[in-house]
Amino acid sequence: MLRIRNLFASIDGKQILRGLNLDVHAGEVHAIMGPNGSGKSTLAQVLAGRDIYEVVADELTFDGRNLLAMPPEIRAREGIFLAFQYPIEIPGVSNLYFLRSAVNAVRAHRGLPELDAVDFMSLAKEQAAGLGIDDAMLKRSLNEGFSGGEKKRNEILQLKLLDPRLAILDETDSGLDIDALKIVADGINAMRSPERAIIVVTHYQRLLNYVVPDHVHVLVGGRIMRSGGKELALELEHRGYSWLEAEQKAVA
Amino acid sequence: MTMSSVLTKQSVYGAQFSAILDRLPGHGLVWVDRLRKRAMEQFLDLGFPTTRLENWKYTDVSPIRRIAFQPIVDRVSPPLPETLRLQIEAYAAPRLVFVNGKMDPELSRRTPLPLLSLSEALGDPEHARVVEAHLGQYISSSDAAFAAWNTAFFTDGAFVLIPRGLAVERPVNLVFVSIETGEPRACHPRNLVIAREGSQVTFVEVFLGAGAYLTNAVTEIIAEPGAVIDYYKIEGESARGFHTAAVKAHLDRDASLTSRSISFGGALVRNDLNVALDGEGSHCTLNGLFAAGSGRLVDNHTHIDHRKPHASSRELYKGLLAGDATGVFNGAITVREDAQKADAVQHSKNLLLSERAQINTKPQFEIRANDVRCVHGATVGQIDEDAIFYLKSRGVGEDEASRILIRAFAAEILDDLRVPALRDQMERLFEDWMNCSGRL
Repeated sequence: MLRIRNLFASIDGKQILRGLNLDVHAGEVHAIMGPNGSGKSTLAQVLAGRDIYEVVADELTFDGRNLLAMPPEIRAREGIFLAFQYPIEIPGVSNLYFLRSAVNAVRAHRGLPELDAVDFMSLAKEQAAGLGIDDAMLKRSLNEGFSGGEKKRNEILQLKLLDPRLAILDETDSGLDIDALKIVADGINAMRSPERAIIVVTHYQRLLNYVVPDHVHVLVGGRIMRSGGKELALELEHRGYSWLEAEQKAVA
Repeated sequence: MTMSSVLTKQSVYGAQFSAILDRLPGHGLVWVDRLRKRAMEQFLDLGFPTTRLENWKYTDVSPIRRIAFQPIVDRVSPPLPETLRLQIEAYAAPRLVFVNGKMDPELSRRTPLPLLSLSEALGDPEHARVVEAHLGQYISSSDAAFAAWNTAFFTDGAFVLIPRGLAVERPVNLVFVSIETGEPRACHPRNLVIAREGSQVTFVEVFLGAGAYLTNAVTEIIAEPGAVIDYYKIEGESARGFHTAAVKAHLDRDASLTSRSISFGGALVRNDLNVALDGEGSHCTLNGLFAAGSGRLVDNHTHIDHRKPHASSRELYKGLLAGDATGVFNGAITVREDAQKADAVQHSKNLLLSERAQINTKPQFEIRANDVRCVHGATVGQIDEDAIFYLKSRGVGEDEASRILIRAFAAEILDDLRVPALRDQMERLFEDWMNCSGRL
């Protein structure tokens, strides 16, 4: 589904990703782990189409189509979703209005009819209930004054409503207490399906207790240093990242 | 601009005035003629303001000065474009409609409410006495050439008198339409709104037009003790229309005025809004939204004069400037020696949609009392690229994403419009604005 070959990304002349390779197939859950500053969030943002990065790759394709030629909104409509590490607050735009604009943009792209306010409201309520999001939160301004946990749950609500084929979750576990973490993990697990791939970007192993990955990759210095099964995450939990960073320095 | 050409242009108006004085409303009432003549002298003395005056630093009125506008004396009924007719119909009864300075009875929807045109009020001895007590008492013509010009030339306007203790439920709609008819004309609408003690009223001024013209309006608002006034001003002049307006409100003890000013149109727009908090415990809220695209200038000057103790004021003006538009916000607040416990908060927030657009925003505080709270803040920003990316990452297209963010910027003002039909109408006009001017 997603194929990355020799991906480089830089911002303001600073190289962040340095020749990254990755294959993700439908039905898989991949965890991307790594120390701070290793390029995890950059990778997530680059996949979603953030244009502040200078991006070069031998190949960056989604279902065989060149992602570099697609603006972010087209990537989203084609089925790529990024749950933000820091969701943006937008005062003056109601959460519900935003969600409906997004869902209808994606529906139009897929040849489905637009949902009117009434139909959308019932759909949104249904999906929100499972995430502990109430009507008041749907009607408030988008993310404005939301707690960290509320923001992350709102991202998962968007994930559910937009029904993407590739979901990228950027540090979705950070700042969550254990109850919120479970709600978010349940939301993610409910999205696992043979047609969908999920990439979980995280610094800690904690979320992976609940969302068990098929593959774990360790990103160090802008490159994947090691890949393995879920046991690699546990090894990192015990040993930390320093041994890999040392290895990376030795290579460099 | 040489001095002699200024004089020449003004002498045109002097000659016009002599020619039409005896056909203007109220002629024959000694006090009206005297008021007009004095105003005319002041207008000729002052001349059009230049950018050398601090209050006009950013607003060059030479496009207005260069034209010799013809006065309007008699009622003319030019064909009304359908788009204007629809806009007028958006404002329900009670409604007074003025076309090129004169009341149009067919377009107006009058009710038993004491809702008269000013010329009608001047024709009735009892009402004329009320008008005499107030007209021109609050506008100080000596510092406002445009207001003086209006006082000399006004042809009509609304006379709204709300009796003591009466709460008027329906908004009173006053619609002023200017339509170009061959040669450039100036309309001088003049309104007088008096809310007697303990009364309550919502009134809406709407300015519309087609073609090139000048609308130079003056509105005087008097709130007696405990009166509550909601005032809406919708400035939607044509793209080639000029609009200058002075509003002067005088508030007595415990009176309250909420002003919401929306400016969408006009080539050159100057809104002056002056509020005298002349009674203990009086309060005003002044909110404004102004949006301008290429080739346009919108200038909002407000002045809140805290004259008595325990008065409070809240002010929020939001500017949206696209293309090469220029916006001005000047918020003056005076707190006099006696006005202890004054509580004034002022915010100016501006969004520039292009690199060529500019805003000049300036608070101007003069505080002579010592126990006061005065707060002000001004921001100028651009569309937040992080927010754009967030919306795009959800499938929302570039255009729609900007529209959502521009609409969000206006939300604080638009969502606060308390008259549902008016809010819907502003929603539509704002959409139109974003589709046309917002991208230029």
